[in-house]
Amino acid sequence: MENELKQLIIDTLDLEDISVSDIDSHAALFNDGLGLDSIDALELGLAIRKKYNVKIDVEKEDVVKIFFSVSTLAEYMQAARS
Amino acid sequence: MAVVVDFVVREWNVWGQGMDCHENEREWSEHQTCIQAKKALIPVRVSKAVQRRLSSLARAVFNAAGACIDSNNTVPIVFSSAHGEVNKSLEMLKNMQKGEEVSPTVFSLSVHNAISGLFSIAYDYHQEITVIAPGQEGIAPAFIEAVGLLQEHHTEVLIVFYDEPLSDFYPSLPFSVNAPAICALALRISLSGSGLSLRFCRSPEHRDDGEHALQIFSFLKFLVAEDKSLVLGNHRHSWEWHKK
Repeated sequence: MENELKQLIIDTLDLEDISVSDIDSHAALFNDGLGLDSIDALELGLAIRKKYNVKIDVEKEDVVKIFFSVSTLAEYMQAARS
Repeated sequence: MAVVVDFVVREWNVWGQGMDCHENEREWSEHQTCIQAKKALIPVRVSKAVQRRLSSLARAVFNAAGACIDSNNTVPIVFSSAHGEVNKSLEMLKNMQKGEEVSPTVFSLSVHNAISGLFSIAYDYHQEITVIAPGQEGIAPAFIEAVGLLQEHHTEVLIVFYDEPLSDFYPSLPFSVNAPAICALALRISLSGSGLSLRFCRSPEHRDDGEHALQIFSFLKFLVAEDKSLVLGNHRHSWEWHKK
């Protein structure tokens, strides 16, 4: 799941020079980590909804925690899909 | 009362498809038929995060404007474009027609001030930035805005004109709205100092010179040619520029 999400992040956000192995599952995705921003977060949310049919509700969920890293996102996705 | 304004073009730079010309290399006028497909390079100082969001038009703007800003980023910028990233808006509308959801990235980059926003992020630029959509009025409104900023208290102002060819989807005839190629022209102006001295005023002539995208090329030719004056208008107001 983590590698699948990494590939989705790379494809969705046009991270041309980055490969799956370059992304640390536990590193921060936004700001200091991969350097993604709020538009990327929205784009990623849309891609996840399209591919996995999982809608992350910004009103009810703690999106900062969910999108913190690939690992936290994968954990949320697995719980949401089961 | 007729308004006459004198200003000085301190420096200028242009990026257009198939040409890469600076004020010291005034060869473009002899090679203007050489316009061909070519993508502007991305300036080295632009971060990877911003690079992936640059369209061909944005790259052209970065190349033209990036070479004209001062090292301390102290000059306000007036961007002027008739259509901005309208081709991106069209792409988005076509996707909506197909029932697809709108991409937040494409939406954010389709608005009229998208390129100026990217520029301010890429160059860490915190000065006043204005983006004009001049409609049928051509390039004159950007000069009026820039001269207004000079009159306020700014020593210099950077004007950046840019446009790209419209998609065939838009029926442009009978209007002269379409540029032959992507072009971005940057001028850093001041009220005094060394450079090309120009006088700018209204013209009583009734003109049919086409809209903004075409007027950029007309002004560029005026900059590089020996012509002493240029008059531009598009059925409404007309304006004159004289080399002093």
